Amino acid sequence: MASVLPSSSTNPSASSVNSFLSAAEREAIKAATFQRLHPRIYLERFLEEKIRPDGRPTAENIEDPNAWRNVEVNVGSITTAPGSALVRIGKTTVVCGIKAEICEPELDNPDEGFLVPNVDLPALCSPKFKPGPPTEEAQVLSERLNEVLGNGMLSLSSLCICSGKSAWVLYVDATVINYDGNVFDATLLAMVCALKNVSLPHADFDPELHRTVCTRSETDPSKPARKLAIQEDLVPLAFSFGVFAGSHLLPDPTASEETLLDTYISVILDAHAQVLSVSQLGAGVDNYEALDQGVNNLPSSREADTLARCISLAKKRQAVLIKKVYNTST
Amino acid sequence: MASDLVIPGQPIPLPRGPVPQLGRGIYEKDSQVRASLVGVPRFEGSSLVISRVRPQPPTSNSVVLGSITRLSPLQALLSIMVVDGIPLPPGEEFTGVIRSQDVRATEKDKVKIGDCFRGGDVVRGLVISLGDARSYFITTARNDLGVIFATSEAGATMEPVSWQEMRCPKTGKVEKRKCAKPEGLL
Amino acid sequence: MQSAFDRRRINGPEDSYHPVFANEIHESSSHVHRIRENRKISDIRPIFLQPGLISQANGSAYIETESMKIACSVYGPRQSKNTAYNEKGRLNVEVKFAPYSCELRRSPLRDAEDRSIAVAIQQALLSSVQLEHFPKSTIDIFLVIIEADGIEGCIASGSIAASTALADAGIDMYGLVTSCATAVKGTDLWIDPTQEESNTANGTLILSCMPALGIVTNVWQSGRIAPSEILACIDACNDRCTDIHSVVAQALLDSAPNKI
Repeated sequence: MASVLPSSSTNPSASSVNSFLSAAEREAIKAATFQRLHPRIYLERFLEEKIRPDGRPTAENIEDPNAWRNVEVNVGSITTAPGSALVRIGKTTVVCGIKAEICEPELDNPDEGFLVPNVDLPALCSPKFKPGPPTEEAQVLSERLNEVLGNGMLSLSSLCICSGKSAWVLYVDATVINYDGNVFDATLLAMVCALKNVSLPHADFDPELHRTVCTRSETDPSKPARKLAIQEDLVPLAFSFGVFAGSHLLPDPTASEETLLDTYISVILDAHAQVLSVSQLGAGVDNYEALDQGVNNLPSSREADTLARCISLAKKRQAVLIKKVYNTST
Repeated sequence: MASDLVIPGQPIPLPRGPVPQLGRGIYEKDSQVRASLVGVPRFEGSSLVISRVRPQPPTSNSVVLGSITRLSPLQALLSIMVVDGIPLPPGEEFTGVIRSQDVRATEKDKVKIGDCFRGGDVVRGLVISLGDARSYFITTARNDLGVIFATSEAGATMEPVSWQEMRCPKTGKVEKRKCAKPEGLL
Repeated sequence: MQSAFDRRRINGPEDSYHPVFANEIHESSSHVHRIRENRKISDIRPIFLQPGLISQANGSAYIETESMKIACSVYGPRQSKNTAYNEKGRLNVEVKFAPYSCELRRSPLRDAEDRSIAVAIQQALLSSVQLEHFPKSTIDIFLVIIEADGIEGCIASGSIAASTALADAGIDMYGLVTSCATAVKGTDLWIDPTQEESNTANGTLILSCMPALGIVTNVWQSGRIAPSEILACIDACNDRCTDIHSVVAQALLDSAPNKI
């Protein structure tokens, strides 16, 4: 690794940078330089040692809860939003705030309100993004989240105030603050937690004035605010995996790993760990030995095998995560 | 001489005697010496500095590492990824250009860019000047400068055999490059 | 309320509006001269400041003053694209309000308010950065306002966060910039006004300065204020800026061991 670096003696400023550093710090800079020039080889060398660059275990230790990064959830801290959540997965940070507004239902669906999820990947969160309209990545993320949240966890008819006249529209906006990989899982979790946090004021449609009037629960206790009618059974959680070099399955990939992945797999489970959706972009793992023998009914194709493996890992993780998320959000 | 952390704008107490030379991270204004970075001021030789490891833009005489992104008969474009031993974050590369007259010290007019660099080669170079609006001017005209990492047509990492040739360990085929003098090269 | 259909986003109904509450007009008029319950009019809101939370950036800071919440990151110095050769670096500031950051939902499109806040912050910082060290380069400062409580507060807290993030990124500066706002209401000076307080003020003034050098970097005044009151505002803000400077200094020193 060291040979990749310029010799410090050739440059006065390079030597000044190095002279006051400890050996460990110099080593860290060398490693970062090597990663910068040869990111693939850098990751390969870590995985050969059965460890990931951020210190997580790999391969045979994949049952280890430490194969996933730590998750933190903090709900309701934004006072301008009737529902909000901040989620951290490792260093990835996402804030979701929900604004409730009133609108007229569509003619085709007079008894339904609207759920409008969008993700913003601002220039703040990563050097990848520049200021401007939503990037392709943000558009794809928003589209996928819209599909997942539209699975029935919140019936749109519960947002109706007066049939054909008035309904709630929930703008679910997530802002990525730090983009360190697996933004999809983090954003879905933030959106779900924010939705569970929403409390809507009591609303009445006044047919004479043709407008909707809300009441603050503080001024009239007989008209209390209400939580959303969420189908707890159907609340989705996502678990994403990357496949590196056709032989390594990496749960919860970081930003530096994500750029090197051949395949990206997301498993979405409901509250009972039933599969709601699976998506795989790219080929599966072709080295069976890297996989755990724990999967009993090995299907023939390697894609199905990888997916089965991901689903079983996701289910294990879900049991851990659901406890944590529900304890903090209630 | 305090060994405490200082913050930008904070006056730095100087030892008695002549005012030392001021290096990076320190400035003088209205005869007061102050810090311009967060850090610990210390002496480096005769000059007082606050050093900070952070990615920085290339300046004259910076040693840079980068990969070749584009070749033309007159010049090679370099995407600078490391400046003075400190890597730049991905996506924040600076563009450098190696003009044919800056490739080597001798027989400058006979340089064929295609015989010196290929796309994807990792090159060590020295910044000659800030160049024009678009790129920095880089030279490889020194023994320790040039290609330090290259992949052969067969996809293997090549070894240098002379200052202008590298060999593929897979096929044994020799390809032309302007190599840097290997100091225990990869 | 909604802007035109945008196929790059998930779109809601064509038209929607903020909920209207019964007795609202009545209620808000009683707020006009409400006195502060938890702080004196000469006090600023307590500041929580944390440098370095955004690992993808070269430097960053998160600031929270009661309900104000702003994240800031610094990228660069990176190569200036599409600009002429320049001996000095460029300082670029972009501000974005999260859609949920205000009482009324903000359209995700950039509006004039984002820009005017960005200009104010850029002016506050410009003379503090040693741009001559960064030829041909740009330093990008991006701010996301997660929750806003007063435009004056956004500018003041945003400037503090941005200066902290610059120091965290190791950008050479003459000094740290701190900033404080004040509102003139009747004959009183209300320091660090909330949205509600500045709405009912005669005028407001924001002072940005480098307390370590005793140099003012920017003054931003609007509304009706007598010259003598302006001087009083500047004095009051200047004092608070010195207090804030020690908060910023402490936050940077506390986080310094993590970053050489």
